[in-house]
Amino acid sequence: MSARATRRTAITGIGVVAPNGTDTGTYWKSVKEGLFVLDRITREGCGHLPLRVAGEVRGFDPSALIEETFLVQTDRFSHYAMAAAGAALKEAGLSDAAADSPYSVGVVTAAGSGGGEFGQRELQRLWGQGSRFVGPYQSIAWFYAASTGQISIRGGFKGPCGVVASDEAGGLDAVAHAARTVGRGTDVVVVGAAEAPLAPYSMVCQLGYPELSTAEDPARAYRPFTPAACGFVPAEGGAVLVVEDEDRARGRDAAVRAVVAGHAATFTGASRWDRSREGLAHAIRGALDEAGCAPEEIDVVFADAMGVPEADRAEALALADALGPHGTRVPVTAPKTGIGRSYCGAPVLDVVAAVMAMEHGQVPPTPNVFDVCHDIDLVTSTARPAELRTALVLSRGLMGSNAALVLRRDPGTAAPHDKENTHEQ
Amino acid sequence: MSSEVTLEELAALMKKAAGVTVDPQDLAARADTPFAEFGLDSLGLLGIVGELENGHGRALPTDAERCRTPRDFLDLVNSTLTAGA
Amino acid sequence: MTRRVAVTGIGVVAPGGIGVPAFWDLLSSGRTATRGITLFDPEGLRSRIAAECDFDPLAHGLDPAQAERADRYIQFALVAAAEAVSDSGVDFAAEDPWRVAVSLGSAVGGTTRLEHDYVLVSERGQRWDVDHRAAEPQLHRAFAPSTLASDVAERFGAQGPVQTVSTGCTSGLDAVGYGFHTIAEGRADLCIAGASDSPISPITMACFDAIRATSPNNDDPEHASRPFDAHRDGFVMGEGSAVLVLEESEHARARGAHIYCEIGGYATFGNAYHMTGLTREGLEMARAIDTTLEQARLDPTRIDYVNAHGSGTRQNDRHETAAVKRSLGAHAYDTPMSSIKSMVGHSLGAIGAIEVVACVLALAHQVVPPTANYETPDPECDLDYVPRTARPRKLDHVLSVGSGFGGFQSAVLLTGPGGRKR
Repeated sequence: MSARATRRTAITGIGVVAPNGTDTGTYWKSVKEGLFVLDRITREGCGHLPLRVAGEVRGFDPSALIEETFLVQTDRFSHYAMAAAGAALKEAGLSDAAADSPYSVGVVTAAGSGGGEFGQRELQRLWGQGSRFVGPYQSIAWFYAASTGQISIRGGFKGPCGVVASDEAGGLDAVAHAARTVGRGTDVVVVGAAEAPLAPYSMVCQLGYPELSTAEDPARAYRPFTPAACGFVPAEGGAVLVVEDEDRARGRDAAVRAVVAGHAATFTGASRWDRSREGLAHAIRGALDEAGCAPEEIDVVFADAMGVPEADRAEALALADALGPHGTRVPVTAPKTGIGRSYCGAPVLDVVAAVMAMEHGQVPPTPNVFDVCHDIDLVTSTARPAELRTALVLSRGLMGSNAALVLRRDPGTAAPHDKENTHEQ
Repeated sequence: MSSEVTLEELAALMKKAAGVTVDPQDLAARADTPFAEFGLDSLGLLGIVGELENGHGRALPTDAERCRTPRDFLDLVNSTLTAGA
Repeated sequence: MTRRVAVTGIGVVAPGGIGVPAFWDLLSSGRTATRGITLFDPEGLRSRIAAECDFDPLAHGLDPAQAERADRYIQFALVAAAEAVSDSGVDFAAEDPWRVAVSLGSAVGGTTRLEHDYVLVSERGQRWDVDHRAAEPQLHRAFAPSTLASDVAERFGAQGPVQTVSTGCTSGLDAVGYGFHTIAEGRADLCIAGASDSPISPITMACFDAIRATSPNNDDPEHASRPFDAHRDGFVMGEGSAVLVLEESEHARARGAHIYCEIGGYATFGNAYHMTGLTREGLEMARAIDTTLEQARLDPTRIDYVNAHGSGTRQNDRHETAAVKRSLGAHAYDTPMSSIKSMVGHSLGAIGAIEVVACVLALAHQVVPPTANYETPDPECDLDYVPRTARPRKLDHVLSVGSGFGGFQSAVLLTGPGGRKR
């Protein structure tokens, strides 16, 4: 994807496990319609905590999708990742990709919270009963590398495998890492992030984030870009993509959903939201530069939308700084206000939404946000039809990272609307 | 109370500790077949050893986790559990 | 890839001595830093030994606020990074901050504090519905794995790509590898790269107990870490950090910097076999080695030293021996291969970076560090493991390899000044 690389990286498969849909079609339908699913947390042992509202993944049965031998040794965050990876590979027609050339398929995930529920259970055994009660899977379920390892083993993928244990922006960094891996010669990389931060102890750990919304009312908990912004709401789930050398994808007649065109990442300090303006703008410029893309070519922006007034202001200003006058005219959206922020999973879900928005020629709305108080064209209420060729996805992390990713619609695809039903069941 | 571990209990432990579903009769019929062929790996067997040790309140010899077949494993486990009972 | 990547600064916090001079003194003397655990009461554990750092954050230059706020593994990284930065001579305040990257690895990150606070909020494991009021205010920083890279970036003013890498026990090698790519591919000119872990805590010791991966040789801790020896019985837990300043070679030359060596290549593959198990053949690690050498266009016979993963488990040492023989062929028998884990233990994600620094020092001193405690040959491990005593040797190209839970197999090639003339 870099200017030096001759190989371009195509997205050829998408898998989603999200609060508003546990398959890609349902997710896009929910996003397009602006479905709002934030709700009171229902997980056992969490009701008394001062974090009330989140985006829970409900109605997801991993046993229907993943072998029990994998389920017993993994946390929920890996269940989501394995399920999403399975769906993405199936869609890409690469479920058996390892059979011929195992080294041609790599795996990269980002992780920001690890296997917290599994870890809490084992900590309870250790401290409540004794060290002999700690099971053999604690060593492989809690750590950040669990999902990459299990996806690699389950699929037989021996290509370059990696893990960025990161803040939210790591989701975009992982996609870029995968694209660069393709650029260096690996044919296919399974890449994404899924998180499961809604276990009692994991929630206690998050309470220290000054940006966390502790609102009681789901409808008021996460309202970025409005005067009522009071922090972010966490979520579960995420997405996994199959990215692939574009020529290879075309050679096997795979559908090229989009091309990963450019990325850049910067750092401006944890919770230093004023400084994130400069950091985000710098990342946007870097991503555009790598993509060989002029600011005016950006047709839609998927915003980070932290939901903290200072951070929202910085993001709006960063768009103006980096895109010039176009920054106030380009449609901006934040579908995550309907589902919350699943840490590293959140920007990967935005990448999915961006790809599907381009395919369908629809900018999805920002659920539950109406009273925008920044100088950006935030799409609210209902989806806006538009011809979308290039999308910019932004993400910032609580520990200070900023990232920008540019996606291009496959120039060979038909005009928008024609494909309206291709990916919906 | 008998402390002998039966094939039925082993099958139940394989399910609980390793997510491996095996019919006890099949396990009995193939008691000399390596665990690996039932889909049970080294971590799964360690989990079973841990369950047995904690359930019976006594340690098993380190050879237990190296047993390759259900018969070897049950022979070792039961000779240990019954020996000092 | 036209941009070359130099190592211009190193820093280390390791068991047996803090700082590069103490570290090299330990390695070159063949002493071991393994002992009975003192960081907590290990009563009831199967393995009650570890290689601990005698580390006083204030004495090593951290201010009281940093010491209070940062977890032990981050304190290690801050101290190692400060040493590396000072060693490099780079004036970071004068560099373009957007061109400075950070790439730091950790396998288990903040788990020691996570466990500490868990005990408080759960009334020692008695309740699932934990009481948040007992938690420390900085707990979220232990929860977020990116705190490591974030704290170090903030300390040195880095504003380029900042990432925390967590690929189990290859985290350190991979963090150096990611940093290498970041500079070689033009996204930064400088990178603070390395790794840190402080995993000597009840939950981490217990989880390795549960899979019998650690040595139970509690009666003789000094000799418990026995890589490649026939009587090896598992690894000995360690802790520590190592950080390198990586720099685009022309950038380093332009400022007249001392260049220790260059990174000649890096590769990683998954074994897609088992989360903890290793094959007998080592095909995937061999591929990582082969790919690394191809990047450097270096014939395998040019390798002068292999710094082994050498954890001291039965399967690892056999696996790794097979892999190196597959890649180096007959030359493997003429190539010294040693494991410093015999001396400093296995600090999980950190050790890969510590081993890279050991390789940098081996090149600088033209000395191969030994494998301490190696006494009895194992027929399955039949290479030259440099038993017990450091060995002077002409070193131009050295390789560091590692394996991690999750199936990761990585290799990094370092080339000293004498090897750069191609």
